[in-house]
Amino acid sequence: MDSHARLEEIFRSVLGDGSIALTDDTRAAELPGWDSLAHINAMFAVENEFGVEFPGDEFARLETIGDLKAALAEKGAG
Amino acid sequence: MTRTDSASGLRPDDALAHDLEAARAHEVPPADLCLRIARAHAARGETTEALAWLAAVPRAADSFVAWQGATRLLGQVGGEAAGARRTARVAVLGTYTTDQLTPMLGLALHALGVRADLYDAGFDQLQQELLDPESGLRAFGPTHIVLAVHEGAARLPELGDDPADEVAREAARWRGLWDRAGARVVQHAFALRPDPPLGHLGLRVPGARQTMLAALNAALGEAAGDDVLLVDCDRLAGAWGKDRWFDDRYWFLAKQAVALDALPLLARHTAAVVAADLGLTRKCLVLDLDNTLWGGVVGEDGLGGLRLGDGAEGEAYVAFQERILALKRKGIVLAVASKNDEAEALRVFDEHPAMRIRREDIACFAANWDTKVDNLRLIADTLGLGLDALVYVDDNPAEREIVRRFLPEVDVLPLPSDPARYVRALSEYLLFETTTLRREDAARTEHYRARAQAAERRLELGDLDDFLRDLEMTATIAPFDEVRLPRIAQLVGKTNQFNLTTRRHSLETIRGFMAEPDTVTLFLELRDRFADHGLVGVLVARRDGDALEIDTWLLSCRVIGRTAEHAMLAELAARAEALGIARLRGTYVPTERNGIVRELYGTLGFERTGDATWEYDLAANGRPASDFVTVDG
Repeated sequence: MDSHARLEEIFRSVLGDGSIALTDDTRAAELPGWDSLAHINAMFAVENEFGVEFPGDEFARLETIGDLKAALAEKGAG
Repeated sequence: MTRTDSASGLRPDDALAHDLEAARAHEVPPADLCLRIARAHAARGETTEALAWLAAVPRAADSFVAWQGATRLLGQVGGEAAGARRTARVAVLGTYTTDQLTPMLGLALHALGVRADLYDAGFDQLQQELLDPESGLRAFGPTHIVLAVHEGAARLPELGDDPADEVAREAARWRGLWDRAGARVVQHAFALRPDPPLGHLGLRVPGARQTMLAALNAALGEAAGDDVLLVDCDRLAGAWGKDRWFDDRYWFLAKQAVALDALPLLARHTAAVVAADLGLTRKCLVLDLDNTLWGGVVGEDGLGGLRLGDGAEGEAYVAFQERILALKRKGIVLAVASKNDEAEALRVFDEHPAMRIRREDIACFAANWDTKVDNLRLIADTLGLGLDALVYVDDNPAEREIVRRFLPEVDVLPLPSDPARYVRALSEYLLFETTTLRREDAARTEHYRARAQAAERRLELGDLDDFLRDLEMTATIAPFDEVRLPRIAQLVGKTNQFNLTTRRHSLETIRGFMAEPDTVTLFLELRDRFADHGLVGVLVARRDGDALEIDTWLLSCRVIGRTAEHAMLAELAARAEALGIARLRGTYVPTERNGIVRELYGTLGFERTGDATWEYDLAANGRPASDFVTVDG
């Protein structure tokens, strides 16, 4: 599974919507059902799945899926 | 983590079919695959199937992402109690954020057959909800209240002047909260942090917080008695790895006291304790023998050839037996279901010096050549238990598959291939969790044994054609060759049970058969979906006048019951025809050990022509059929 598909599965699971399809322009905050709990769950899942850490508010500052992928790539996990 | 191939890009129906086929290839399908299948069923409105696949997620892996998806889906499709064995109303009162734990507990309970209505009181509302008669907890009306606490919630100082008093007062506070519960309390005991400020010194300082917390856990255990259930979180955290269980980043960020990916484990164990309280503890452990309780096959290796007691492998089997006896001591009944000669199997129990489990430990002993399905039914019936009280343990994946398929009520324990890991595998099975330990429990085996002796009766054989077909067996059947000769001679020398004549020809004699023009020699190599069994069949037939006389015919006991004998006979018939011979003749030479093949020739369509001789007329009867084994090469 490539990193896009892994991210998609994380967002599907966390938001409980198996039909979510992500693009690089998708804004997490605009996905239906997104709230602070989903935010924590998604952040943990991404850290856990990709073996990275987002210190401080780094994860919160990533607006789009493209930003998230870029951050993962920067950490050598994309 | 490993993942299965995505089926995306296919039409939904095709994707589901593709995923179902992929799941079939696994004994325990991966969690993400189970979730995808559950979603597909849910999307088609197939609630029952969706729920069944959701139950498979917790059995597969403690994956946070898969559990997240499964809990969300369960919340969407759940709501029907159909098929659940129990129902419960479970409230979670936490001292940390329990938004993730509570639905995971629901999923874990679902996997154990409990349909749970859930209530989450929200962050750190534990005390308020218990004390307030108007609380949401009271309106919910729980059957079980889970007190999900973290060590920070224990009111103990960093260094106590009078540690015994501090601990006693804190224990009394919790007892007071329990008294207000009005439902069964499931108390999470405190998991101790890996980074105590006093370091090793703390162990010598009774007033150190860490030391008092350990004492508090003990005091809570003592106070709990039979009324309050405990979950030993310190053990779980230790097994999980405390460095990861305690993740301070998420405490500061979201008041998460337990790492989110440890929550599935915590949820499963909490669910097991609740399930035990609901009477879902499995009562009976059914054991295979060869390569499960000891290394080797008693029918082939003999009593002295078993790996049990000495050596790393032998010690591992002893440790496994001792763990099984520990289960018996807490009231789990033991039974045996083994494809074996009964007298031979019992001899191991009675005479092998390293055996820990003895004949009298076994409430029902079914060692015979019937299928495991028949024997499990027999055991349940004899002991007066439902099939859903049984747990079956076997090293052989094909046997496990047959039981899963035909007796879905029976829980099947997948044993790892290395016996050194058997104890762990057994300890991780959660439905042997019990809520009390009493002398009556340990006496349960005796009760069931008496019952078994009173009820000696057999059950009807089920139709297993589907299973045999599903094994997708393929065989190579061909004349002996030099490479295989040593293995062939070995089988001729030691096979006792499925052996029509038990003629112990030497390797040189067998080599002589290979050179005779009118002699048919055949070996059989068998493979199925699960395993390559290697060379497991041998047949020698020599011309005698106008007939082909079967001098030697044997099968290794590991493939008895697979219809491989039909495939060998079909091949023999073809070769007889090629020699211009129209009659096959067989002899049964009885020994102490080969009763299993006494009627073999009759079963295969031969006609009896003497006390122990049988004939098959190829011209009249045609070539015998073999329905389940495909012969290649």
